[in-house]
This record gives sequence, C-alpha cells and structure tokens, in this order.
Amino acid sequence: MSLEYRVAAFVVLSVAVMFADSRFDYLDRVRYSLGFLTAPVYWVADTPARISYWIDDVFVSHGDLIEENERLREELLFAQRELQLLAGLATENSRLRALQEASASVDGRVLTAEIINISSSPGSRRVLINRGATDGVLEGQALLDAHGLMGQVVEVLPFTSWVMLITDSRHGTPVQVNRNGERAIARGSRGDIPELELEYVPDTSDIEVGDLLVSSGLGQRFPKDYPVAEVISVVHDRGQPFARIRARPLAQMDRTRHVMLLALSADDSQRIGPSSAAPVWLDTNQQFSSTSIVDQIEEQIDELSAQPHEEVVNPAPESVGLDSPMPSEVADTVPEAPTGQE
Amino acid sequence: MNQRASGRWVIFLSFFVAYLLAIVPFPEWAMNYRPQWVAMVLIYWAMALPYRVGIGFAWTAGLMMDILEGSLLGLNALALAIIAYITLSLHQRLRMFSSLQQSGVVLALIGLHLMMTHWMKIATEQAVASSLLFLLGALSSAFIWPWMFVLLRQMRRSFGVR
Repeated sequence: MSLEYRVAAFVVLSVAVMFADSRFDYLDRVRYSLGFLTAPVYWVADTPARISYWIDDVFVSHGDLIEENERLREELLFAQRELQLLAGLATENSRLRALQEASASVDGRVLTAEIINISSSPGSRRVLINRGATDGVLEGQALLDAHGLMGQVVEVLPFTSWVMLITDSRHGTPVQVNRNGERAIARGSRGDIPELELEYVPDTSDIEVGDLLVSSGLGQRFPKDYPVAEVISVVHDRGQPFARIRARPLAQMDRTRHVMLLALSADDSQRIGPSSAAPVWLDTNQQFSSTSIVDQIEEQIDELSAQPHEEVVNPAPESVGLDSPMPSEVADTVPEAPTGQE
Repeated sequence: MNQRASGRWVIFLSFFVAYLLAIVPFPEWAMNYRPQWVAMVLIYWAMALPYRVGIGFAWTAGLMMDILEGSLLGLNALALAIIAYITLSLHQRLRMFSSLQQSGVVLALIGLHLMMTHWMKIATEQAVASSLLFLLGALSSAFIWPWMFVLLRQMRRSFGVR
C-alpha cells in the first residue's frame, strides 16, 4: 500500500476516533486501559519532586523539627478553638435546618492527594493528581487546598486523575458574595494571568473590591460555602452592559502540592453520571458562549422557581457564623438575586 | 539475541524519554518555548529507519501523547501521522541536508504540528483562540535539533539499530 493511502487511512481513523471520543463515551474504557501504560511515565516524571521531598524529610535538623512541632501545635490549638465555635454553630445550623425541614448536605469526608503534574498545553489550566479510580475518585469531585477551592475532577485514570482548575477559561464556578449573598458565575480568565472573571453581573450589583466569594452550591458540583476567590478589581464602564469584575483565587494554584479531594455524598454520586440531570453550566464538556450562558442562567432560574420555597432561603441559617449581616437581610437579598442575574 | 529486538528497545526508550520531557512541568513563562520532544524523536526515527517507524507507529505514539496530555483521543495521533508522512516522503533528501537545513525543515514540521493541534483543539473546544506565541515551540525545537540528531544517531549506531 502506498504512503498516501496509508496516511489517508490514518487521518480518517483519527477523525473517527476524535468524533467518537468527543460525542460518545465508548472510548472511556480505551482511555482508562491506556492509562495503565502511561502511569509509569508520570511516576518517573514525578521522581525528582518525590526525592526532594524525601530529602527534606530525612535531612532536617533536630532544632527545626522542634520548632516546626511547636508551630504546628500552636496552629492546632487555634484550629481547635475555631472547631469548638463551629461545633456550636453546626448544632445551631442543623436545628434551624430542622425547623425549615431542609436536609443537611454538608459532607466533610476528604481524601488527601498530591499534584504530580500540570498540563503542558498553554491553553488549558489543568493539573494531574496522584489519586485515581483505584482510590475511588469520581468525575466531578471538588479539589481544595488549605485556602480554598481549586477545581474539579474531569477525567479519572487508574492511578491518576485530571483536575480542571477554576481558572481554566472553560470553567465556570457558581459563587456568591459572602457579604450579601449576591450570586454570580466566576469564569476562568482568558488571559495569561490565572484569575477569575465574574460574568454578566449588572452594573448596579453590590460587589466591592476585597469581597470574599464563596461557592454557592448551585450547580450541585461544588459544596456550598467554600472560599473561592477575592475580588481585586471592579470596573463600571458606562458603555458596557455589565460590570467587569476580576477576582484572585484564594487557593495557591501554582505553589501548593498537597491538596484535598472532597468526597461526594451518596446521592450526589448518582447525580454526576454522564447522563445526569445536573445543571449544565458546570458541565465542562460545554464551551461557554455568550448566548448559551444566558440560556443556562434562565434554566437555573426556572429550576430555582420550581423548587419549594425553603430551598431558596436556606443560605440564611448557614451563613450565620460567617462574616455576613443578619440572617434576615440575607434572606431578603437571596430571592432577588436571580432577577438581578437575568 | 537478534538485532531487531535490541533495536526496538532503543526506539522505545527514546520515546519514553521524549514523553517524560514532554510532561515535565515548565514554569509558566517558558510554557510557549517547550520543544515538541515526541514529534522530534519521531522525525528522527522516520528519517533514519523509514521502513520501521512508519505512519502506524506515529499514530500510536500520538495516541499515547493524547492520554498523557489528557486531550481528545486522536488529536496528537492525527498530527503526528501527518508529520510522519511528510518526513517519510522527504527522508532521502533530509539525510543529505546539512544540519542547518535540517533544522529549517524541523522548524516547518514542528510549526505545522503545533498549528494542527492548536486548530483541532479550537475546533473541538478544548482551548480558546489565543495569541500565536505557542509557535515559539517550533523555534526552540529547531534550535535543539542538531544536538538531538547527533545524540540519537550516536545511540542508533552504538546499539546497532537497523
């Protein structure tokens, strides 16, 4: 067979494979099996980092250890104090929830993981973690570091998984302003700086520089009330229909190695499947375009209005302990937010 | 031990190292300068041993790259198959070229490879259109080519890969 025919055959084959991979999930099994072949490459590539961590662990002076131990003990004390406060708040919260007959959805199970690689293509912001299907990782699980939300698992391989960071330009994170409950969608910036942009926020919205953005839990991919980002600039341009708001993620995307995977609660894991009814704006297979996002927000509003009333106001008791105004104020602002986003 | 078996070992090792180099984390500012190691190794073997490293080999190598990168299956496979095709049809001329001329051809081939993967990523919505700075990777690949060529040729000769 001549060279031309062979290359034509392989081009056709590639296009077929690409089409099948993007449209259907027949090839997930192939991808998964090939993951066994690529695992050693990652393992070797990560060796220098592992050795340097090992050296750090082994060759450390006694004095340094004592110092670190003391510091950690102090931190633990602080953390425990906060935990005591939280325990009180949690009981109060569950009591209030019980009053409203809303279900408790906060699930604290986590799995620690390490980032072992970052995506090599300049256009995307993804990281590889050292946990895979054998550790029980599922697509859609949220990744956190000690400071905030980092991203979500988009592809699970046998021993590793790809995580799309919230700063990827194809990723949208549903957030709300911690101060007043104003809701928005934070999308990864298209530029070189890893930042978030709040999309389609009306000029009149009350968002200021320094505001803390927490995950709103809408979309049901990310748990509620985890810190996401801090607003660093708000530009009101009269020529533009929306305010331009940029935010810096709180998670230390490019410095941290140790991260946490948040376990999905039992009913969530059913929801995450490819044929799930999870709201579409967090489906990372979809490109966000300006037309589709309006549809998506409308869908979101439809869904919200279809839900019973207590679902809409339940942010109120949760945010009692946080730096937010009185619950009554929050409850007042929240039902208005969807109309503001439209 | 026949030579064919030992030869395969050398080729696989060179690809393994290329994969490693391809995924080793780079600092953010150097991301665009990352040479396309796998494509370069492929160009070398397709030029030196066209009867062993053909389009099918290139396609499989690209499929592995897709898994490593986590990109759409078949994307790198398609690009590498085309690169292999061009190299195979030019291989006799390429062998006669001086190293500078070879670098020029590598610049064009890697540039084409980067363009193809970029277009396909945009078409399949895996990336957003950005500046053309990613083509700097072709420049760094062409710059590294002469050294890599000498190294791989040395390896091929001393292990008797035919």
